Amino acid sequence: MSLPSIWATVLVGIPALVAVSALLLRRVERLRSLAIAGGCSMLSWSALPSVVPALGDWEVATRGRWLALGAGALLRVDSLSRPLLVLAAALWLLTVTVTPRTLLDRGGIVRTAIATLFTTVAFLTESPGLLVLTWGASVLAFRLALPGGQARRARGIVLAYLGASTLAFALGAALVFGPQMTEPRAKAVGLWLIVAAAVARKGVLPFHAWLPAVFEHGRLGPAVLFSTPQLGTYVVAVLVLPLASARLLSTLAILALATAVYGAALALVQRSARRACGYLFISQSALVMAGLDTASEEALAGALVLWLSSSLAFAGLARCVLVLEARHGQLDLSQYHGAYQSSPLLAATFLLLGLTCTGFPGTLGFVGEELLLAGAVRGFPVLGFLVVLAGALTGLAIVRMYFSLFCGAREDAIPLEIDRREAVGFAAVVGFLLLTGIAPGSLVASRLEASLELLASRATATRTSSETAIARGAVPSGAPAIEAKHDGTPVHPGP
Amino acid sequence: MSELLLEMGVLVGVTSPGVLLAMLGIASLRPRPWPEIYVARMTSTAMIACIVGLTTALGIYLTAVGKPVVWTARDWFSSYEGIFRFDFLVDGWSLAFAWMSAAICAVVARFSYRYLHREPGFQRYFTLFAAFALGMMFVSLAGSIEVLFAGWELIGLSSALLVAFFHDRPAPVRNGLRVFAAYRLSDAAMLSAAALVHYYAGDGSLESVFAASTATAHFTATQATLISIFFIGAVAGKSALLPLSGWLPRAMEGPTPSSAVYYGALSVHAGCYLLWRAAPLLEQSVLAQSLAALAGASTALYATFVARVQTDVKSALAFASLTQVGLIVLEIALGLRTLAFVHMCGHACFRLLQFLTAPSVLHDLHGLQHDVEANRGSTAGRAPVSGGLYLFALERGYLDSILDRFLVDPFCRAASFLDRLDRSLSGGAMTSGDSLLEDDER
Repeated sequence: MSLPSIWATVLVGIPALVAVSALLLRRVERLRSLAIAGGCSMLSWSALPSVVPALGDWEVATRGRWLALGAGALLRVDSLSRPLLVLAAALWLLTVTVTPRTLLDRGGIVRTAIATLFTTVAFLTESPGLLVLTWGASVLAFRLALPGGQARRARGIVLAYLGASTLAFALGAALVFGPQMTEPRAKAVGLWLIVAAAVARKGVLPFHAWLPAVFEHGRLGPAVLFSTPQLGTYVVAVLVLPLASARLLSTLAILALATAVYGAALALVQRSARRACGYLFISQSALVMAGLDTASEEALAGALVLWLSSSLAFAGLARCVLVLEARHGQLDLSQYHGAYQSSPLLAATFLLLGLTCTGFPGTLGFVGEELLLAGAVRGFPVLGFLVVLAGALTGLAIVRMYFSLFCGAREDAIPLEIDRREAVGFAAVVGFLLLTGIAPGSLVASRLEASLELLASRATATRTSSETAIARGAVPSGAPAIEAKHDGTPVHPGP
Repeated sequence: MSELLLEMGVLVGVTSPGVLLAMLGIASLRPRPWPEIYVARMTSTAMIACIVGLTTALGIYLTAVGKPVVWTARDWFSSYEGIFRFDFLVDGWSLAFAWMSAAICAVVARFSYRYLHREPGFQRYFTLFAAFALGMMFVSLAGSIEVLFAGWELIGLSSALLVAFFHDRPAPVRNGLRVFAAYRLSDAAMLSAAALVHYYAGDGSLESVFAASTATAHFTATQATLISIFFIGAVAGKSALLPLSGWLPRAMEGPTPSSAVYYGALSVHAGCYLLWRAAPLLEQSVLAQSLAALAGASTALYATFVARVQTDVKSALAFASLTQVGLIVLEIALGLRTLAFVHMCGHACFRLLQFLTAPSVLHDLHGLQHDVEANRGSTAGRAPVSGGLYLFALERGYLDSILDRFLVDPFCRAASFLDRLDRSLSGGAMTSGDSLLEDDER
């Protein structure tokens, strides 16, 4: 077994081990301690490829017919996936660290471990077959995590939207990457199906309605852990981006920009804090999607930075709401809850994480948004400014939430401050987002490298398909498939 | 050597409030706030260091350097299109404005120790105050659009949070949100201007915007017009120019020292200062100049009428201040740059003094406010024109109701309709969330 294989096995083994340990450990607090230890170990382990060159860039080719959809590697680590694996571990650690005792039972800990396992496997592969499997498995696990009773409707919604997205993804992958599939029209339909699946999973217009409903009526914790890694974005990055036509990408980018504004606008008028969180997530994840589909180096790098910052910041923000709910009950944004008096630290955390989501200077969100805006304005000189509008509305929604949740008088000023474990968890996330916001150089450089690789893979794939078309006599040999430099780097159109 | 000393002076001037913000921010993580005396001493030390640093820089600039210097403190991050730098544009004007801002902040800090003595949010106030001081340093000395935007956002956020300082009462919080909404419009305009500067000039250097020779070289007339219009939008939000003046009286809910420093002295002038610096760009476009002149003149006229019928001293002072801000913008639009700069600095210091002495004057002459109100009279018996004008001024130009009717209400109704649609798509109609509409009712 090679060193990378050992590393990957240990990485997916950690959450699997925690999930299995639930059978042996009876006490929930002990199981939570194990999960926290597992999260810490996984976080350190997942960061190894960034410092050990032998683990930094490798792949294992796909074997076996059932996974052999397309030429994507069965397992691989590259510049795109390195920080995403760290993100998956960080989200798990944050979940098991800050979720209140009353909301994280034995089953909850097992579910978080299993969800992390699926996310990690997905980020480790670019094989369409394995991606379809992990996609479907994570949907199933999420659906099972939703309680019955009043949340039955949320289960139905998940089944309808996400079930359909799984089917669309499977069908699309079979059409695009199936060994017998050579018909260009079938491949185009397949790509549209994969895009539809990703759009539905991310909650981009017009398939967004399930997300706020699940945030409002389902369990907020599993909903956050299911949605924040943004598997739909990953699928678009590794499967769609290399093959999609410019028209498909620009359609998707415009749709995503509209969704970013839509989500922020609707977050602003919500009464339920949970539902507002759902719309905020829709807006944030749509911004990432918009950058990815603009297909310019700068917007792509901005989207990749924003992917990390918005996922972490939003997960922290939603956890703050969860922690507050555990102390104050259901949170109605049309009233003032006065939580600042009892939890000033949580108030500061909420505000800082919210500001990261809005792209406030000094946070990582600002770096991502600046790059994304620069790229989006180049790609779409008028529509690109929707990024600004989305940012402005998000900021307003966040401050409104902050005022509603933390301001106002409370008669019963019982000290309900977060405990040390929660404080450490939140402080780590806020500290990371601030430090990388103040000194983002190396992170931005790595995301630029990833964006370059993605665009190079797109240029290569397009050139290959163009050569095939020329060989079949469909396209005159002089027509370039994509404007590209000699080293495969796409040429920027310029102002 | 002299340039190195100049840079060191600027560094001390900028980092002092930054260090103060970091220390007070970290101190806020403790379960118990620090004793007031610690906070006061730290703030005093930071503001004195800031003034000393800027005085040194100004002295060296005037005696040894004498020409504008762009100092790159560090490269923030880079992309294919260029480097996002942490630049400071150091010249006599920027140093003078930064020095004045630091001095005013120091005076207000000293005043605030006593004014907010034993106030539960003492440490929170000074944390936000440090954020404001840092924001003013960034805006004054910005050499790149990113630094300018960072300062702009810091001023806006700290302002809104200070308006909502007494956050156990609903009114300040509600007004804080209103103020923040106006600032978000301003921020959006500023960010759009930043994106355009990057798009057209290829980098975010403000030297190309602020210097007459380079502004002409970098931007065509159309580009200059577009960027200038966004700058005017940003200034309108921050300096409460028409039609965004409605938030100004609402901002008076904050503590008096913060009202003094934000709406009397510095924050309202930050927009003027930006427009003043961007004047070379403005002068390339007749349309932008006319727009700025119109905004300035109409704001001055509006504010002078409204100031005359205010029943509380803070609002009267705020509108009096706005009158002068309108005139300063008009001067800039007319190309009277030196006059505008002197007017801006003189007015900031004068209005600060008025704001800070207002509580004492009211205390000494208690009953004055009541008398002012009683002598104001009514519209009965007045000529129709003056009666209408009086009513217009009393209602503050109906700005809030106009914005509510034509912007906020349609937005809320559309969003609520879409929300109901979403709910029906996700399997059931529930109560729609149009709570923004009800914010003012609760």
